[in-house]
Amino acid sequence: MTFLTLSNALTVSLVLVLIGAFGVLRRRNLILVLLSVEIMLNGVNLSLISFNYFLWGASELGHYLYMLSIGVAAVEAAVGLAMVIVLFRNHRDVTRTRIARLGETSETEAGAGA
Amino acid sequence: MPQLPSVPDILFAVSAVAVIGFSLAVVLARNPVRSTLLLILSFLPVSLIYILMQATFAGILQVMVYAGAIMMLFTFVIMMINPAPGGGELPGDATSGKTFGKGDLLWVVLLCGVGLIVIPPVQYAASRITAPLIASGGSPAHKEGFGTVESIAQLIFRDPANNPLTVSFELISILILVGVIAAVNFGRRTQKAAKAASPQATADETNAAGGNP
Repeated sequence: MTFLTLSNALTVSLVLVLIGAFGVLRRRNLILVLLSVEIMLNGVNLSLISFNYFLWGASELGHYLYMLSIGVAAVEAAVGLAMVIVLFRNHRDVTRTRIARLGETSETEAGAGA
Repeated sequence: MPQLPSVPDILFAVSAVAVIGFSLAVVLARNPVRSTLLLILSFLPVSLIYILMQATFAGILQVMVYAGAIMMLFTFVIMMINPAPGGGELPGDATSGKTFGKGDLLWVVLLCGVGLIVIPPVQYAASRITAPLIASGGSPAHKEGFGTVESIAQLIFRDPANNPLTVSFELISILILVGVIAAVNFGRRTQKAAKAASPQATADETNAAGGNP
């Protein structure tokens, strides 16, 4: 019995991506949506490392791509959380469904004001 | 007589189950603080899988940069935003009292369907590709010091004038710089907006205070 195979590793990474997709689609809290994106990135990173290990032993190109992906994830977390903090400061709310209606409320408020 | 699984195989199986379980718990947990801590926990078995795949430096980066720095940022922001004294859920989240409702069931079925369609061909293709390697130990011959810091540094920084990896690696720092500038700019813009809005707001307040009595 060998569990440490490419197909098992890719299955785990696909399941992680699907779990993350569920979180992105269904959680209302914007911070949890960002966390779910991190889960998806984690799955992709796992596939990078396992492809490098199982199919290419001559260099660490997959590890290099993993480092690029970590950099992108850090930038995404920093910018996304800055946006979440700005939204919370202005509206006291980080709920996705309510923030999607911000344009409508401002229009109705403007209409009510006029 | 069936061959017994070796120690790396057992570690991989346990880690894979732990990663999937922790990630499910992250998505389904009601409390965002608990979600973040569970995500940090889910990174530890991933790092173990990396180390099993001879990616020691990647495993160390996973713990130090991902679990240590990025997730700390998330925890920090959640602690800053979370207004409930008992560490409860954020406003608006899980309004129905539970995070898993009827609408979620549809998405679970849909994503399980996607998984059932996608995973078997991937497994088949992967087992086909690695079939010749399984006979020789399951993986190709790795070079000396595969996955160590020195080896990765040699890959990225050897002959920097002609190495495209050096350029792209340095470009990440520009990306991070741009991200930092964007994040700082978000904060500054709201201060300006608050300054622009505050005289009006105070005027409204004084008007209301003067008009009420």
